[in-house]
Amino acid sequence: MTDANAPLVEARTLGRNFPTRHGLLGRAQDVWAVRDVSLTVAKGETVGIVGESGCGKSTLGRMMMGLDSPTKGSMSFDGRDLSSLSSAEMRKLSRRMQMVFQDPFGSLDPRRTIGAQIADGLRTHNIVPGSEVKAEVARLLEQVGLPTSAAERRPHEFSGGQRQRIAVARALSTRPDFIVADEPVSALDVSIQAQVVNLLMDLRRDLDLAMLFISHDLHVVRHLCNRIVVMYLGRIVEEGPAEKVFGTPSHPYTRALLAATPSLHPRDPSEGDKVLKGELPSPANPPSGCPFRTRCPLAEEACAKGVPPLSPVGDGWRAACIKAAPVAEGVPA
Amino acid sequence: MKASTRKLILPGTIVALIIATVILAPVLPLQDTRGMDIPHRFAGPSAAHWLGQDEFGRDVLSRLIWGGRASLFIAVGSAVLAAIAGTALGLLGGYFRGAVELFTVRAAEIILCLPPLLLALLVVTILGAGTWPLILALTILYTPNYARVVYAATQQVRGLDFVTAQRAMGTHPLKILVRTILPNVLPPLLVQMSLVVASAMVIESGLSFLGLGVVPPTPSWGLMIRAARGAMEVAPLLLVWPSLALAGTILTFNLLCDRLQSALDPRAVTAGGALWLRPRSREAKKPVTPVAAPAEAPLLEISDMSIAVHDMELVRRVSLTVRPGETVALVGESGSGKTLTGLAMTGLLPDTLRVTGGSAVYTTRDGTAVDLAKLDEEGIRKLRGDEISMVFQDAAASLNPVLRIGDQLGEAIQAHHQISGEALQKRILDLLRHVGIPDPERRHRAYPHELSGGQRQRAMIALAVANNPRLLIADEPTTALDPTIQAQILQLFAQLKKDTPGMGMIFVTHDLAVVAEIADRVTVMYAGEVVEEGPVAEVFARPRHPYTAALISSVPESGAERLTAIPGTVPSPRNMPTGCRFAPRCGFATAECESRSPKAEHPAADRVTRCFRWENVT
Amino acid sequence: MLRYIAFRSLVALFLVWVVVTIVFLLLHLIPGDPAELLLSTGNVAADPQAVAALREQMGLNAPLWQQYLDHMAGVLTGDLGASFRDGAPVIEQIALRLPRTLEVILAASLIATGIGVPLGTYAAIRADGKADAVISFFASASLSTPVFVVGSVVILIFAQELKWLPAGGFVPFSEDPVEHFKLLLMPAGTVALSLLAVITRMSRASVLEVLQRDYVRTARAKGLSRAPILRRHVVRNALIPVLTVLGLEMGTLIGGTVLVEFVFNWPGLSGYLVSAVDARDYPEVVGIVMTISVLFVFLNLVVDVVNAMLDPRISLVR
Repeated sequence: MTDANAPLVEARTLGRNFPTRHGLLGRAQDVWAVRDVSLTVAKGETVGIVGESGCGKSTLGRMMMGLDSPTKGSMSFDGRDLSSLSSAEMRKLSRRMQMVFQDPFGSLDPRRTIGAQIADGLRTHNIVPGSEVKAEVARLLEQVGLPTSAAERRPHEFSGGQRQRIAVARALSTRPDFIVADEPVSALDVSIQAQVVNLLMDLRRDLDLAMLFISHDLHVVRHLCNRIVVMYLGRIVEEGPAEKVFGTPSHPYTRALLAATPSLHPRDPSEGDKVLKGELPSPANPPSGCPFRTRCPLAEEACAKGVPPLSPVGDGWRAACIKAAPVAEGVPA
Repeated sequence: MKASTRKLILPGTIVALIIATVILAPVLPLQDTRGMDIPHRFAGPSAAHWLGQDEFGRDVLSRLIWGGRASLFIAVGSAVLAAIAGTALGLLGGYFRGAVELFTVRAAEIILCLPPLLLALLVVTILGAGTWPLILALTILYTPNYARVVYAATQQVRGLDFVTAQRAMGTHPLKILVRTILPNVLPPLLVQMSLVVASAMVIESGLSFLGLGVVPPTPSWGLMIRAARGAMEVAPLLLVWPSLALAGTILTFNLLCDRLQSALDPRAVTAGGALWLRPRSREAKKPVTPVAAPAEAPLLEISDMSIAVHDMELVRRVSLTVRPGETVALVGESGSGKTLTGLAMTGLLPDTLRVTGGSAVYTTRDGTAVDLAKLDEEGIRKLRGDEISMVFQDAAASLNPVLRIGDQLGEAIQAHHQISGEALQKRILDLLRHVGIPDPERRHRAYPHELSGGQRQRAMIALAVANNPRLLIADEPTTALDPTIQAQILQLFAQLKKDTPGMGMIFVTHDLAVVAEIADRVTVMYAGEVVEEGPVAEVFARPRHPYTAALISSVPESGAERLTAIPGTVPSPRNMPTGCRFAPRCGFATAECESRSPKAEHPAADRVTRCFRWENVT
Repeated sequence: MLRYIAFRSLVALFLVWVVVTIVFLLLHLIPGDPAELLLSTGNVAADPQAVAALREQMGLNAPLWQQYLDHMAGVLTGDLGASFRDGAPVIEQIALRLPRTLEVILAASLIATGIGVPLGTYAAIRADGKADAVISFFASASLSTPVFVVGSVVILIFAQELKWLPAGGFVPFSEDPVEHFKLLLMPAGTVALSLLAVITRMSRASVLEVLQRDYVRTARAKGLSRAPILRRHVVRNALIPVLTVLGLEMGTLIGGTVLVEFVFNWPGLSGYLVSAVDARDYPEVVGIVMTISVLFVFLNLVVDVVNAMLDPRISLVR
């Protein structure tokens, strides 16, 4: 396990801009979905990305998969810079990176059988000889806990949870090293969510996968991930080991997010005034200085001066706040 | 076979018959289309000439069939050619976009700047009349239509996750286009095709009618009508036959197109209309005679209520009680019937659903008891929005996009109160302020799309509480919101509860943690039935039904290394288990559970569970 | 809003330019010499010298780009050239005939909308009932019957058999208003019939769709009674796509009344185009096509602007 510390996937000062134009003659306006994000994922590690809608977590996931190219910064996978690859090389490399999507009804082609869709990856990358494709599909289905007879059926015959398992089997078919899971359980009912979360945990353990797990559900992320990244308006505001970030959060936004998450064990009603005021600012028009300062309970004049850099709070733990300090609270463990 | 597929048989058969007839024209025992018989010109139908003879004594029937052959050849030919060209342009433009889009779809769309008949006229003038110039003209004319349809469909499909998954898998773009995208854009393509055949026939016959299309002596329906017009006084029937043939064929193709559309894309066709809009069509429910309610009566008492679509029960024998000032959470997974139960209380069930049994007795403001399940539309309308009101999940869709927020609010107040002008204005502003919308003096003039998600939900809540209702039903009001906004809205509900102590609330949700935050009592539903009921704290601390217990431990909050997952899936209403509906997924199930439906048990005075083995659960 | 209109107008102008250029090029690049065509009668070939003289006179000998520039300069100053056939200014003929075509289209649109919207709404409310089946069948049938068939049959019935109306022709309004309207009735009614079918079907589909919308349920949840829900929430929202379709259909009709004008002998713009096309009279064809496309593009612009006014969401998008 010597290279366990070398990152498999590395993002360096990644930025993604979606310029929008108002009318043909209007001035193009920069809308940064992701800004200045540096992040690594090591082999066998599960990194969780949390944040509210519009924080750029899905865009970041797509860039880390090579599906979207960054406007700024660079992405490298196993030491190779993705932007330097030709499209044929990229297609070849994509064997090692796979994705699981949120919507169990949109992620499978309604017109083709399950088996054919799982076999696509096997055939494209010649994972197994043609004669063994069928057996391999059956093995993959069994691995995600579905009967082998499922291969002959079409997506509409399955429930949401089963489809999500199929999507996982499809992602596993190319024997990837890295999986991006974009809200894979958000569309599922609670009891089914647990099935899929357990499956992902087993796979991570058995296959030593690197995983990027994107979700807005703090409980699931905490349960599944080693490291957690909290994003706000396209930037990382806090990043570190799961038990630190959610146990003693050091950024006020992380604290607010934890306080806002409903719990089976309701907090003291006096904490009601910890609810954040105001709305999420538009990414097209972010506040000057610290992006969070318009809603931050600790904001002061200095916060408007500039964007606070991600500075170390502890070992492998960083936060972007001039008043960053661990505060014991958050969800009861 | 589905009804929509069955409906395809009639137009499909006629189209097949028409096409077979014109294809077989050379082998059918038809008379020569050019054989003149001047002495018998304008002769009526006879044994030799079933449809009579025209101005040169030629046989009308055979001219009709051969004319159809010419028309259909041109129409189908150009429809197919245009389909091929348009599909290629649309696929490329829709998938690659950018510059490719400009040179394919956008370039083709310039043709749409010219009125269609005019364009056909131009091409025909340049190339001269005849079959092939017509086909070319119609192909050019319809290519942009296909390109547009395929482009739109491609754009839609390419954004779907299964296409992204193919890209992520490293599949070659051309393979994705052919294998994944093309099959998925076929349905709109087919519909467009039958539409184009019909439309091409109209233009072909029109040009032929003007003498600019098919060249005589080749028979064509347009030409036949043109000739018959000259002889209208002598032989009006000559006008009738080709007109009937032409209109009939086009009608059949149009019909095929309509039915194809509903068979291939059921979502695009919304059937049913609205029963509530039809004054007398609702089965005559007798107006309920109000009875004075007993003094200690609860606000709402649902007992043994069932809801069914046709004869399929979606909700079975649900009982629920709401007392003044109490918040009852109705919790369950999708398909549990929780939303339907809420909708039934306001008479807003979809038209195909009916309350088939039980009662829902509501105590009105003036102390009388009415059964909501038996009230007629007018009776329940008077209660809706005034005494019982509802907050829906998707505020963006639930607010009228073309009306200002203030006007939508004013309308809700005026539905039940004689109030207008400044008094109304003041009430609107007060309400907006009350639900925490900043700057109401300006915001009341905003359209829904100008508000953020959280503010829209606040506006939705303002609508619901506009007339100080006594019973508020909230259907997943925070599900679509971000955590920090959800917390704000939950806080607003808590505030409303505090400000209006007598108001009862039913809070429908799938989120147990939200239940813990907001509710006093909880009713857990599974597969259309109530499985457990009781005070929130007690139920969560000690669930008395295996489903509730499993649900609680499947929330990844416990800190356990492995989550408790409930195996299997929720049964569909078509094949419900005969005994306890949870038995197939239950770890406690015995033979008895599978054969017999459990009765309601009372583990404590204010608790209910439907389980034989409740004593063994926790 | 003003910026939106300005932007759309620019796009419209660009489209008009593209269309005029395409038509000009099409007519000048195709084989066939108009001078020769004009001078030849029947099968007798024209005198080559006369042809050359005529070519010179019509400016056909100049390089194509110069002809194009001259043409565009003319367009900008409102001079569309003179007819090859009689030398009369094309713009005068267009000015005389265009209002007659517009009159038919406007009358037809009024009839079709006035009847179609209520009929479609009624059919939607009664969806899948008997009334709906009758209305829908009637709409499909009249949509499927080409105008010249309807026109011919209408003449057969009302002029030929019943003798209620004259079979066709035109009398200026200033000469005899009553006769003018009597003559307008059949062409306008014929055009209205197919337009009516389109509007009815569209209204029905649109109302059905709006009825499924959540905001209609919200309106019911407020306790509003049927009439205000129907008026303020259902019909108002359903009208937006209907008006779009009406605008597009009217645009199509500007060039599409050829057949009706032919059938009823109505001396409008489209009939003029057919004869110009027949005679290869370049200035006439280009002038008419340009007029029609300008109107077509302008109508689309009006439709977009009206839509933006009815639907507050649109102006934000651009």
